[in-house]
Amino acid sequence: MDQAIPKRRSGALGDALFRVAAFSAALLVLVLLGAIAISTLIGGYPTFAHFGFGFLSKAVWDPVRREFGALVPIYGTLVTALIALVLAVPVAFGIAVFLTEVAPRRLAVPTSAAIELLAGIPSIIYGMWGLFVFAPFMANTLDPWLSDTLGMVPGLAPLFSGPPLGLGMLTAGIILSIMIVPFIAAVMRDVFRLVPPALRESAFALGATRWEVVWHVALPYTRTAVWGAIFLGLGRALGETMAVTFVLGNSHDFNISLLAPSTSIAATIANEFTEADSPAYLSALIALGFILFVITFLVLLLAKLLLLRLAKQGAR
Amino acid sequence: MLVASAQPDQLQNQTQENGESAAVSEKPCIIIRNLDFFYNDRQALRNVTMTLPERKVTGIIGPSGCGKSTLLRVLNRMYDLYPNQRATGQVIMDGENIIGPDVDVSLLRRRIGMVFQKPTPFPMSIYDNVAFGVRLHERLSRAEMDERVEWALTSAALWDEVKDVIRSPATSLSGGQQQRLCIARTIAVHPEVILLDEPTSALDPISTLRIEELIDELKRNFTIAIVTHNLQQAARIADQVAFFFMGELVEIGPSAQIFTAPKERRTQEYITGRFG
Repeated sequence: MDQAIPKRRSGALGDALFRVAAFSAALLVLVLLGAIAISTLIGGYPTFAHFGFGFLSKAVWDPVRREFGALVPIYGTLVTALIALVLAVPVAFGIAVFLTEVAPRRLAVPTSAAIELLAGIPSIIYGMWGLFVFAPFMANTLDPWLSDTLGMVPGLAPLFSGPPLGLGMLTAGIILSIMIVPFIAAVMRDVFRLVPPALRESAFALGATRWEVVWHVALPYTRTAVWGAIFLGLGRALGETMAVTFVLGNSHDFNISLLAPSTSIAATIANEFTEADSPAYLSALIALGFILFVITFLVLLLAKLLLLRLAKQGAR
Repeated sequence: MLVASAQPDQLQNQTQENGESAAVSEKPCIIIRNLDFFYNDRQALRNVTMTLPERKVTGIIGPSGCGKSTLLRVLNRMYDLYPNQRATGQVIMDGENIIGPDVDVSLLRRRIGMVFQKPTPFPMSIYDNVAFGVRLHERLSRAEMDERVEWALTSAALWDEVKDVIRSPATSLSGGQQQRLCIARTIAVHPEVILLDEPTSALDPISTLRIEELIDELKRNFTIAIVTHNLQQAARIADQVAFFFMGELVEIGPSAQIFTAPKERRTQEYITGRFG
C-alpha cells in the first residue's frame, strides 16, 4: 500500500506533462495560423493601403505601370474550384455508392486501391497530362462542341463563347475535379461503411431499393461527414497550384467565358514570384496570398456553420 | 452435448405429424416446405417444414445460433443482400414460392415487414420515419399521408406520446418509443405479415410489456412471427411455438402444449433451462 502512493504521484506528474504537451501542440497550430495571417497581411499591406478596395474589384494587372487588381485571379480561383466541385461531387458519390453497395468484393478491392493511387499522383503530373493530352482534346473536341451547343443557349452563351484554345477555366476545373474526386470518394466510402447494417436492413425491409436506401437513409445518416468531405475537396481545389498553372492559361485579361484563359491566385503567385522585381509587385503577390488565405478560411467557416446547423436538426 | 442424437428423417416425420395434429388455425398464411439455408458452405437451416397460420402469433425459440433469426431473414428475403447466402426449398405465400427467382423483393418486403432487435430509427423526423415506407410504394396526398401516419402511430400505441413532437428527430425518443416507432413504420405500409426479431431484448421491462400488449393487438390484423430468447414472453404472446435447435425444427405446436407437455426431449430440456 505504501508503494501505491508514490506510483500514483508519478502518474499524476505524467498526466500533467502530457496535458502541457498536448496543449502546446494545439497552441502551435493557432500560433502558426496567426503568424501566417499576420505576415501575409504585413507583406501585402502596402498594396492594400495603396489600392484599397480597388485591389479586389479591378481587373488590371500591369507590373510595368505598377497597377494591380486581383479580380481576375480571384474570379479564376473561385470559378475553377466551383467547376471542380460540381463535376467531382456526383462522380465521387457514385464511386462511393458503387464500392459500398453495388460492387462485389473482388471488384471493390481493386477499385478502392485505384482511387487511392489516383490521390497519390503528384499534381505536376496532372499538370503535364493536362497540358499535353487533355488541353488539345479540349481545343479540338469539347470546346467547339460546347460553343455549338450550350454556347447557343440564350443566357448561357457568354459562358461558352470565345475561341477554343484548350487552355482555360473549364480545362482547369476538369483537371481539378479529377484531382479531388479520390479525396471526396474515399471519405464518402469510409462513412457509408459506418452506416449500421441494421439501419440499412430496416430500410430494405420496408421494400426500399438500393438507391433509395443510399439516398434516403445512408446519405442523411452521414451527411455531416459527407459535407466535410466536400469542403475538404473544395479546400484542395482552391489552393491547388501546379496543375492549374499548366492549364489555366495565365491570362490577366478578364473574360467571363469558361473557355477563356484566366489565372488563379495560386497560379499567379507561382508564376510571377521570380519576376517580381519591384517591392510593389512583390507586395501585390503577398496580398494575393492573404486573400487566398481569407477565402479558404471563409470556406471552412461556412462549412463549420453548415455542420452546426445540421447538428441542430438532429443529424449524426 | 446434452441432447441425444436422433435420426433426422425420423425427427422430420414427427415434426410434420405434430404440425398437423396440433394445428392452431385453419388458414395458413405462409407454408414453408423443406427449407435449407446456407451461409457459404455452412448450413444454418435443415429441411424446415412449418406453417405460419393467418392472424396468429408464431413464437420461434431456441438457443443462440439455432437458425431462428435466419428463418425470419428467409421470409422477407433479407439474405438477398448478401451474395454468399442462399436458400433452397419452398416458402409459399398465396400460392407463390417467395424464395423463387422471379419474385419482386421490394413488393414482397412490403407484404412481409420486419422489426429488428435494436430500434433503428432513420435519421429523420418521427413523421418521416413512418411515412418513409409508404412513400416508397404509394402516392398519397398530404391529408391521406397525415391520416396514414396517425393511424400507424395509433396502432403502435405511440400516437398520444408523440403527436406534439411529430416533426422532431426520431432519435430524440426513448428506446421503447423508438421500437414502437419501428413497428408503426412497418405497419404503415399495410403488410400482411410482421416479423419481429427479438424486438424487446434491448428494452426495459415496462417497454417490453407495452410491446407485448401491442403484439396482442396487432394479431387481429396481421400474421406475426416473433423470435425471442424470453420463454415467458413466448408463452405469453404466442399462439403456436416452434423450437429450433442447430438449424432443425425440433418441435412445433400450440404454445400451451409446447410449454406444458413437449413431445421432444430436447424441447423439454430447453424449456426447463437445462441448456441453451
